[in-house]
Amino acid sequence: MWSQSAVSDEDRLGRGETVGVLRRAYDVARAQRRYIQLALGLVVMSTMITLAGPTLVRFAIDNGIKKGDDGALNGAVVAYVVIVLLGYGVGRLQFIAINRAGEGFLRDLRLLTFHRMQRQSMAFFDREKAGVLVSRMTADIESMAELIQFGLLQFVSAFLLLILASILLIVMSWQLALVAFLVMPFIFAASIRFQRMSNSAYLDVREKVGNNLSTLQEGITGVRVIQAYGQEGEYAKKFHRTNRSLFGSHMRSVRVSTWYFGLVEFAGIAATGLIIGLGGWLVHRGSVTLGTVTAFVLLLANLFDPVQQLSQLYNTMQSSAAALHKLFGIIDAVPDVNEVADPQPLPARGAIEVREVTFAYQGSARPALESVSITVGDGERLALVGPTGAGKSTLAKLMARLYDPTRSPDSGITGVVRFGGVDLRNASLAELRERIVVVPQEGFCFAGSIVENVRIARATATDAEVERALDSIGALERFRAFPEGLLTDVRERGSRLSAGERQLVALARAALVDPAVLVLDEATSNLDPGTEAEVERALERLMRGRSVIVVAHRLSTVRRADRIAVVDDGRLAELGTHDELVALGGRYAALADAWEKSQPTV
Amino acid sequence: MSRPEKPDTAEGWLLLRHTLAEQKWGLIAGVVIGLAWTAGKVAVPQLTKLGIDRGIEGNGSLALWAGLVVAAGVIAGLFTALRRWIAFRESRWSETRLRERIFAHLLTLHAGYHDRTATGQLMSRASSDLQQLQAFIVMLPLTLSNVAMILAVVVLLLTSQPLLAVVALAPLPLVNVLANRFSRRIHPAVLAVQAEQAQLATVVEETVSGIRVIKGFGAEKVQADKLRVEADDIRRVSMKAARIRSNFLPAIDLLPSIGLIAVLGMGGHRVIDGSMTVGDLVKFNAYITMLIWPLRNIGMTVALGQRAAVALMRVNEVLSTPSAIVDPPSPRHLPTGAQVGAVEFDAVRFGYESDHPLLDGFTVSIPAGHAVALVGATGSGKSTVVRLLTRFHDVADGAVRIDGVDVRDLPLQELRSAVGIVFEDTFLFHDTVRANIAFARPDADWATIERAARLAGAHDFVERLPEGYDTILGERGYSLSGGQRQRIAIARAIVSDPRVLVLDDATSAVDPSKEHEIRDAMATVMKGRTTIVIAHRPGTIALADTVVLLDGGRAAAVGTHEQLLATDERYRQVLAAWAVRDDVGDDEVPAGTPSQTHDDATGESARTRATVAADEGVV
Repeated sequence: MWSQSAVSDEDRLGRGETVGVLRRAYDVARAQRRYIQLALGLVVMSTMITLAGPTLVRFAIDNGIKKGDDGALNGAVVAYVVIVLLGYGVGRLQFIAINRAGEGFLRDLRLLTFHRMQRQSMAFFDREKAGVLVSRMTADIESMAELIQFGLLQFVSAFLLLILASILLIVMSWQLALVAFLVMPFIFAASIRFQRMSNSAYLDVREKVGNNLSTLQEGITGVRVIQAYGQEGEYAKKFHRTNRSLFGSHMRSVRVSTWYFGLVEFAGIAATGLIIGLGGWLVHRGSVTLGTVTAFVLLLANLFDPVQQLSQLYNTMQSSAAALHKLFGIIDAVPDVNEVADPQPLPARGAIEVREVTFAYQGSARPALESVSITVGDGERLALVGPTGAGKSTLAKLMARLYDPTRSPDSGITGVVRFGGVDLRNASLAELRERIVVVPQEGFCFAGSIVENVRIARATATDAEVERALDSIGALERFRAFPEGLLTDVRERGSRLSAGERQLVALARAALVDPAVLVLDEATSNLDPGTEAEVERALERLMRGRSVIVVAHRLSTVRRADRIAVVDDGRLAELGTHDELVALGGRYAALADAWEKSQPTV
Repeated sequence: MSRPEKPDTAEGWLLLRHTLAEQKWGLIAGVVIGLAWTAGKVAVPQLTKLGIDRGIEGNGSLALWAGLVVAAGVIAGLFTALRRWIAFRESRWSETRLRERIFAHLLTLHAGYHDRTATGQLMSRASSDLQQLQAFIVMLPLTLSNVAMILAVVVLLLTSQPLLAVVALAPLPLVNVLANRFSRRIHPAVLAVQAEQAQLATVVEETVSGIRVIKGFGAEKVQADKLRVEADDIRRVSMKAARIRSNFLPAIDLLPSIGLIAVLGMGGHRVIDGSMTVGDLVKFNAYITMLIWPLRNIGMTVALGQRAAVALMRVNEVLSTPSAIVDPPSPRHLPTGAQVGAVEFDAVRFGYESDHPLLDGFTVSIPAGHAVALVGATGSGKSTVVRLLTRFHDVADGAVRIDGVDVRDLPLQELRSAVGIVFEDTFLFHDTVRANIAFARPDADWATIERAARLAGAHDFVERLPEGYDTILGERGYSLSGGQRQRIAIARAIVSDPRVLVLDDATSAVDPSKEHEIRDAMATVMKGRTTIVIAHRPGTIALADTVVLLDGGRAAAVGTHEQLLATDERYRQVLAAWAVRDDVGDDEVPAGTPSQTHDDATGESARTRATVAADEGVV
């Protein structure tokens, strides 16, 4: 019924872990307790109804048909009708109950995971791959939806059915029950073996599908190169190889299921034959009735299905447990930038003071910054320059408390960043974000209107305030001119806007907050010449009257700064005005020289 | 893909018929196996009946009948396995071959088609659409034997107890009807769930990629609210799907039970009357149970067929698109000799949209062995010129000639091995460095590859890669810097040893401080070879003998860089516009090592060459 799921060996959880994960899952599901209980009750009922059918047939044969008692037969038929109708009602309710519980659980799980994920610091997002985080929240949770829609219900009912049917068989005739129990372990063993083999076959197919799709995609995106070098034939051959290898994997996986399905089919029919043979013999001896033999023949089908289902579900459970385990990894991650219980208020304005700050990214042995000290006065503009990976962006982020300083392995000192004399770690995050605003390199936009995109900086801002913010950087007219004005939906990632326009939105957000300090990460890539100038002007207006720390990539930006800090190899190498540093003849002087020269000589 | 006109499914079915006709024998075997399966399955309840009536109730041999049931089990088991195997084999085989056909066809389709069509769309033709098709084809032999089984059972029951058979079987067609209706109802509901899931994924995705903005402004709650809306939506549409399931699935289970009750009630009284045996009762019971799945399957097959028809139509659309660029019916060949590689653009007119010519009256002729720099503003058609030379597109008017032969008269293979392109966005394949360099000539020997790598200035860094020339590159492989990628691409062009070399903005992806390295490689490769270099940085332009300014769809000015700088206002404007873009103070500039010296050296030497050669240059 549901698509095949598989779990690779490295994802497979140990027994203890699985139990732990399931227990925690139940904690999340606690809100759905009512529906879960209702569903369980309904499953018990429907299982008993399933078993009632053959039992009634047995009663009808032994007490009605064999004795020629029309009344008993009619009674059995009426009871059968009632049972079937009841089964229908229970079946319907069951679907609703189990899905209410399951979907409620998934919703809560989504909200919880998302909430916990957002609570994490920037360091977490640097560490985790974006694609992985997204697939945790989507593919991993969706894979559980399948389990919930079909699996859980079947798991419980298969389990119950197996137990109840076994009891029923033993009660009716222990001799015939032996036949059933003889065949059952055989099917059980085959099912487990099949699951194991099909699991690995499936993983193999999945890998081959991935390979094949990559070759396919590569061929399509690289079609111009392939054609330019006349390699259509060669490349088609390459595709043949991955494609045929995928076919081979598919066939291996089919072979695995082929013998299994054949075997199960045979076992079911053979058991029927055995029941007839042994049952007939017992009937002749008078130790069982014909009705019992008939009931056995009818019940056997009900007995083998759950065995198959259970082994299949075991696999699904394992892959769900693996998915849940990964989710709890996110849920349990402890954020490393936290608010203190009793925050100190921040002054409206003040200098930013970086004292002896060392910072190492998690998992990296070498600190990205080492004992850096620098003070940016109120209203001062500081440009940070230096080679890639020297630590200038890290320094800027520490100034905005996107990270906290870490302990220096050399001096053992954990540095401090202060604004207006207050340690940033003692301030409330909300107030901090009002004083110090980071404008990232690329203007990132969310799906939604321009107003909504600006308002993300301050959820309580009125439309008028948003307009004022846009106006203050001189961008209001540009966006008003859009067909739907400021209400224009910019689409996913702001794809309707140009790069420059997205940058303007980002600047308007900062203007809306009206912070004392701006931390800018200058874009390395270029904007189209038209908007470039407009963004420059907007930036200039935004910076007016604020302290600015800019990670600079352009000479023009650096020249506008009051002071320049050269960061190299995690340390503050040089600090001073442009003229001072050029006169110094050090790293900055060389850099400025290279910059000058790379200006095209037009 | 939304298409206004009604899709033509007939052509799609024709494609399916042709595909299946090629697997005639496999499919016939599948049908025969299916019929054997039917016989085995149908025999079981009949033998069970005989076992009960003759073995248990009568005086027949119990062991014989029990043994026969087991024997039928062997047949049913064996053919269940075979039937499944052959159905999957044939369907996967169709899928595999069709995918190869699609892929091979895509590789021959003209560049214009690929420009218009998103990669994702073509991918889904060759993956999800074919899967839909496979899911349908696999059902064909299975459904056929299912139908055979249904017919056999109906005939058997009708001949043994006509009235009871009619009553017991009456509800079963409804199973089919309901299963079919269920399939149709649940499909859009499932799609709706997927659509909502996609929306949630969008919120998560933008939150993760925009986390700097969210953290920076403390906007976590805004995103959390958005997510709540999406999560609630998923729950809502999922419950809708659950309600559809609850409306259908229990009802589908209910229907056969009506038949079973009829058998017990009606049949029971008949047994008491003596007009029927207990064995018949069990037989009826077993047969009705046996029919449930085949009936549900037929409903499913119909629904799958409808989806497969749409998929087929889309696949057929790709396969029936002819390539606009094909070999000429009576091809000519390029002349051979010492001085080859002359290129001529003769009053070329071309536009991607026919009423908007991008090039109009573009005339340039490049003598063999000369280097021309093509300069122009964004969108002026520089890359288009190159695309016309390799026949990625055909000119609307005028002609492009290599050594006097119209490119449209050349076999494509010959034309494309005569022209080597280093593309603006270097595309490397997921393969070894060696295979990437030898791409144009997979049989190239080691010496050729190494020589090319050395010429392109790639040898040294390749040697330092973890696996040297065996390092796997490409999207999932080792990632090289922009400049390194370019040098591999240049080496690739060298191996193809073309008459005409095209360097399409080969340095644009490289930061200015590294440009000189590429420039060195380019200068080496260009020596003595006709080269068209698309460029905007003075250092690269200086590599060429002559500069052609492309503006307004024609060659607006021709001369050396210095001449044009001195005399042409538009040339200065175009270069100035590019210069604004290039005002990138680069992060990677190693402090203290001004990188310009190399540039100057290359620039100087090339410039000298340019002045000498300018007179014989472009006309």
